[in-house]
Amino acid sequence: MTPLLEIDNLRVTFDTRHGMVTALDSVSLHLNAGETLGVVGESGCGKSITALSVMGLIPQPPGRIAGGSIRLNGEDLVGAEPARLRSLRGSDVAMIFQEPMTSLNPVLRCGDQIAEAVMLHQNVDSARASRLAVELLDRVGIPAPAQRARDYPHQLSGGMRQRVMIAMAVSCRPKVLVADEPTTALDVTVQAQIFDLLNEIQRDVGAAILLITHDMGAISEMADRVAVMYAGRVVEQGKADDVLDHAEHPYTRGLIDCIPALGRRDDTLREIPGVVPPLHLLGDGCAFASRCAHADRRCLAQKPVLTKWRHHPVACHAVEEGRI
Amino acid sequence: MSLSFILRRLGYGVLLIFGVVVLNFLLIRLAPGDPAVVIAGEMGGATEEILDRIREDYGLNQPLTTQLAIYVGNVLQGDLGQSFFFNQPVSRLIAQRIGPTILLVLTAQVLSILLGVFLGVIASRKPNGPASAFVSIFATIGYAVPVFWTGIMLIILFASVVPIFPIEGIQSVRLRDAPLLVRGLDIAHHLVLPAFTLAVVYLAQYARLSRASMLDVLGSDYIRTARAKGGSERAILFKHALRNAALPILTIAGMQFGNLISGALLVETVFNWPGIGRLAFDSILRRDYPTIMGVLFFASAAVVVANILTDLSYRWADPRLREQ
Repeated sequence: MTPLLEIDNLRVTFDTRHGMVTALDSVSLHLNAGETLGVVGESGCGKSITALSVMGLIPQPPGRIAGGSIRLNGEDLVGAEPARLRSLRGSDVAMIFQEPMTSLNPVLRCGDQIAEAVMLHQNVDSARASRLAVELLDRVGIPAPAQRARDYPHQLSGGMRQRVMIAMAVSCRPKVLVADEPTTALDVTVQAQIFDLLNEIQRDVGAAILLITHDMGAISEMADRVAVMYAGRVVEQGKADDVLDHAEHPYTRGLIDCIPALGRRDDTLREIPGVVPPLHLLGDGCAFASRCAHADRRCLAQKPVLTKWRHHPVACHAVEEGRI
Repeated sequence: MSLSFILRRLGYGVLLIFGVVVLNFLLIRLAPGDPAVVIAGEMGGATEEILDRIREDYGLNQPLTTQLAIYVGNVLQGDLGQSFFFNQPVSRLIAQRIGPTILLVLTAQVLSILLGVFLGVIASRKPNGPASAFVSIFATIGYAVPVFWTGIMLIILFASVVPIFPIEGIQSVRLRDAPLLVRGLDIAHHLVLPAFTLAVVYLAQYARLSRASMLDVLGSDYIRTARAKGGSERAILFKHALRNAALPILTIAGMQFGNLISGALLVETVFNWPGIGRLAFDSILRRDYPTIMGVLFFASAAVVVANILTDLSYRWADPRLREQ
């Protein structure tokens, strides 16, 4: 079966004042119809750039897709005509953003913003689009939807705004729904509600979800498969349960160790020492080597390639050599 | 937008105008110079006895506070006094000249906002492109050049080089009895140079401001959302971005109105436009106190009204300001 969305060897570069940096390097991911792929990693690892690439929303310049392909149902989106991308955006591929507080236009009514998305891709008049907007608000669990549709974004809470964003994103029943940290800005209790809603919507609409997150908890709750990214590369990939239970890459293990577990007798929260190195300072070796307890000379000299060793594909020399 | 808000603003406006009336009165009386001498001078010189008579006739020998009380009382009854020089009621003088001034100021205001915002939007689409550079250079020149200089240069240009626009007055003498439409077109023809001269400074400011404001807005999250919906570039610029970018432009437009009226004084003088500005110029030269105060009264009332309108339009444009 060909995957619905297939990212192959994607390379994205940015011109910065430090010169050209590679934000995504040989990233290959695929997403089957109806499934959820979690992409996880720290800030700056390339998760959001991956999401924006799929949407065709990389700001160019300074960004540039320097190689690879993104195929949706076999159609390559890299190098597609802008008009073609516009007609796909919002209809076949839709996105939920990280910041519900600022992602809605403050001077337009919520209902109108949803209706606009409907009218852009469906042949309906504005009255019908407004009715659909109210139905969508009802569907995403907003009480008194007809009234809320007339509200402006500032009159709604963060959770409500994210529901409006979700209603907007699913308004044209997209095949792929990109959710970029959809709950980061929300309270913990609201986070759970939003995940439940996304699961429901996915069953309803049959959309495949590309879930961008740094939260391993969200992965275990939502994702069928997971890809762990570090410094612009995928370092481990596999079925979510498999990766969570048999994490192999030292970085993935570190991320899982960071989850505070109830009942674990620790005085401190665990962390991965150090920070992601700036992209312009990456050398020839493994980007994680400077923070890795298992790094040796080879790790500093040669980039490991994503290869299946025991359970699932991992990019790590230490795993390959059986050192961990 | 509530009625009580409008009434409250109107109340403040009336208080403000009252304050301006009192302040104007005191400022002008504190200036050196004796109007009786000027009036007598117009009549060909006078003895001390005649000067005393004039002072008595015009109430100039009364204590300042009494003069003020009388003046305020008269203004409240709609009587702005009798012009020393024109020997007519000031209110009649103003009524005769208010039309040309309003025509000039509003045309310049509309012209500068429409053209300035249009240029700013064009420039914001490619902030490093040639259009943007042109707007920046034009804005700097437009802002730096004094109004009267622009006017004189335009007069030289259109009087001798390309005589296609009239450089003086509001209508042609030979068309005074022509049908209404012809007279209207004639006035519009005469309006071109003065309105453009007055508009240039503000046009440059609006172009700069809307360029900056648009650039700011175009980088915001909700513009990215609009793109993710598949909106066209034009819808994004004019529907999503401009409504938000218009807020600072509105503020400046309201604040500039006072400057525009004082600019009209120079432009009317240069182009011999029969408006309030030239009346002010003539009456200042002749120490025609009642007329000066009448003109200032009119100007301050116009500024107060403009500010109230700005406040209302601000609320109209930004829903976040409506409930307070």
